[in-house]
Amino acid sequence: MQKEFMLGNEAIARAAAESGVKVVAGYPGTPATEIVDLCGGYPGVYAEWSTNEKHAFEVATAASLTNQRSMAVMKHNGTNAATDFLMHVNFTGIRAGMVLITADDPGGLSSQCEEDTRILVHNYAHLPMFDPSSVQEAYAMTKAAFELSEKTELVFALRPVMRINHAGGMVEYGAAAPQSRPAEFVIDRKRFVMSAVVEKESGGELRPKMRHRWLNAKQDELRALMEASPFNRAEKAPGEVGFIGCGIGYAFLKEAERIHGAKLPILKLSTLPLPEGKVLDFVSGLKKVVVFEEVEPVVEKLIKELCFEHKVVLEVLGRSGYLPKEGELSTNLVLTAVEAALAGKPYPATVQGQYVSARTRTQCSGCSHRGLLVALKEVVRKNGGVVTGDIGCHDAGTFEPMNLQATIYCMGSSIPMAYGIKKAGFDKPVYALIGDSTFFHNGLTGLASAIYNGGDITVVIAYNSTTAMTGFQPHPGSANNLNQPVTPIDPGAVAAAMGAKVFRCNPYNVEETARVIGEATAETGVKVVIAEALCYLKFGREGKISFTPRQVAVDEAVCNGCGLCVRTFGCPAISLADNKAAIEPSGCNGCGVCVSVCKRGAIK
Amino acid sequence: MKFDLVIAGVGGQGNILASQVVAKCAMDAGYNVVNTETKGAAQRGGSVLSHVRIADGEIFSPLVPAGQADVLLGFEPLEALRYIGLLSKKGTFIINTAPVPTILANMKVDEYPSTEQIVAIIKDKGLAGHFLNATRAAKELGNVLLTNVVMLGALTAVSNVLSPDVILKKLLTMVDEKFHADDSRAFAVGRGLIGKEG
Repeated sequence: MQKEFMLGNEAIARAAAESGVKVVAGYPGTPATEIVDLCGGYPGVYAEWSTNEKHAFEVATAASLTNQRSMAVMKHNGTNAATDFLMHVNFTGIRAGMVLITADDPGGLSSQCEEDTRILVHNYAHLPMFDPSSVQEAYAMTKAAFELSEKTELVFALRPVMRINHAGGMVEYGAAAPQSRPAEFVIDRKRFVMSAVVEKESGGELRPKMRHRWLNAKQDELRALMEASPFNRAEKAPGEVGFIGCGIGYAFLKEAERIHGAKLPILKLSTLPLPEGKVLDFVSGLKKVVVFEEVEPVVEKLIKELCFEHKVVLEVLGRSGYLPKEGELSTNLVLTAVEAALAGKPYPATVQGQYVSARTRTQCSGCSHRGLLVALKEVVRKNGGVVTGDIGCHDAGTFEPMNLQATIYCMGSSIPMAYGIKKAGFDKPVYALIGDSTFFHNGLTGLASAIYNGGDITVVIAYNSTTAMTGFQPHPGSANNLNQPVTPIDPGAVAAAMGAKVFRCNPYNVEETARVIGEATAETGVKVVIAEALCYLKFGREGKISFTPRQVAVDEAVCNGCGLCVRTFGCPAISLADNKAAIEPSGCNGCGVCVSVCKRGAIK
Repeated sequence: MKFDLVIAGVGGQGNILASQVVAKCAMDAGYNVVNTETKGAAQRGGSVLSHVRIADGEIFSPLVPAGQADVLLGFEPLEALRYIGLLSKKGTFIINTAPVPTILANMKVDEYPSTEQIVAIIKDKGLAGHFLNATRAAKELGNVLLTNVVMLGALTAVSNVLSPDVILKKLLTMVDEKFHADDSRAFAVGRGLIGKEG
């Protein structure tokens, strides 16, 4: 064994490579993103950015059915996008070991929501899950998941949270082990064709019911495995109040125990299904347990159910009411709860913290989205239109000072929502603003729906040739995939082929962009504006930019300090000093978009 | 032994490099190290908080709990204020007093407190430490990007967990050779600022 400092995502990729993974597919999403890139660096591993998480799941499952170990990588709301497939692959099972990485983001630190995918993957799809409490354990669990998946023929899921994916720690690891098993696809329609077909040998039952029975029967095997799993263990100490730490909750609990200064009865639970025997043994003699888990009371409710079935009288406290129901756990929260529970008191009411002036997200200095947002804002200011938004860097256009997009939900929602507003009778123009990676992810079908149903909207696609938000992963509109150069799929050509009227502009040119959006608005039907300019942050480093750099400066004789450039634009390089606009040269990248914002012509 | 360090700053200030230098030195010295960063959209002017936890025993959580940090390095005063609750009553802060205004404050929809207000709030908490203008020192050295190196130098004047020579040497292995002379000077200036602040 060797020991090295690794990020959680590095440890997961390392463990997958050591387990002989052959195919890894994912879609970028914080905090899981790095795993796919890192897997691609191991010899013999094929890694790819699929267009969305459902397709990543499908590609990885197909590899497993072809007798190759595989892994699908996504963040929580990506798992939502893959749920349709999840709810079938649980019934069929798989062949070679397959792991689903479904990374959660308690607190929504870098997400649109803070959902708990244990409910989706375990409670709903009835698949086994590991919930790591440290980087080292994420490594060990990934390796175990491949072995147990192959043994049980079920997809095993690892549910790391942000504080595992993006934490670094010392990891003991072994050697990468590329596997050379034959790629063989054995046709087994009774398993791998999910359809409502009558099975003669089971007395005429339908296949979905038979496969459901197979999955249910698997649960006993899984429970036995988890009972024996080293990832679940009890730490004995005297007392009538016990504490249960799940995943990262265990790490906070151990730290709280150290600060508390006395040993506590602790049960570490890091698997689903639960090791029921270990739980019943731990709670025996206790009056009360407190469960620390991210985010929903999943384990807490399973323990309540278990106690009910076994006629165990026990107070089970946790996320369903005792602890805060929302947000991330922390050592301080756990310590407070431990001391309150030991004293037989309720968890103290949360005191609202004192507001410290926020630092909101905005576009980078030199970002093409700022030009696009300003142009679109100018258009809707005049015509009273509404802009539906989507996921990506441009979503910061919903905050101060842009305040442009009126909605943001999930990947691809902007287009159907835009035409839905029109179908409801809204009589002013409606715009859908979507990025290129998101368009390929889940915007294509929405666009088809809009065109097919006679929508009357303008779709603006911010085509910057990369998935910038998550750290510049390529997508079908890029000139490369994870492995090689490719011909980009032009979203404008796609939209035109579907029947949309397509317009093009360079968003660094605000006047041109506003004019083109205006022209598109004047047409009827579904119009698509391709606002095409390379992501400055990514391609600027490579010397490729979509504007002519210019040294901008404020003409102090013309500037009257109205502050429009600050109040409506939000470039980090511009501020007001002594009632005049001031451009900080070290922060300015010379895109020149601000020149269009100043109505007096003071920025030159 | 345990040493918990948090570095609060704004995207682009070199916060993460500074935390990596400390983490790597601690690993070389044989300590257990755990770290993490909260960097929501750091490249886009957001707040960045790095946690570095060093111990000779087991470290459970990657996050430094409130009231447990031995040193808080504030690369920016508002960010230092935001995370001051992490500092132990026995800990030490080093806070760069040069503000990076927020967009909301620029727009006048939010107030950026004055340096005097921030200093007063922090002093009221009964915490000990140093206020210094690392940004000005870096500018005087010819490059505002040296601010993080000035702060790293200052760190070595308040903590003897890792020696200044070790930290500087590690830093130099992580940056291009053309910056070595400037970085070494900035490091020494930062070290010298402790105790001389007014």
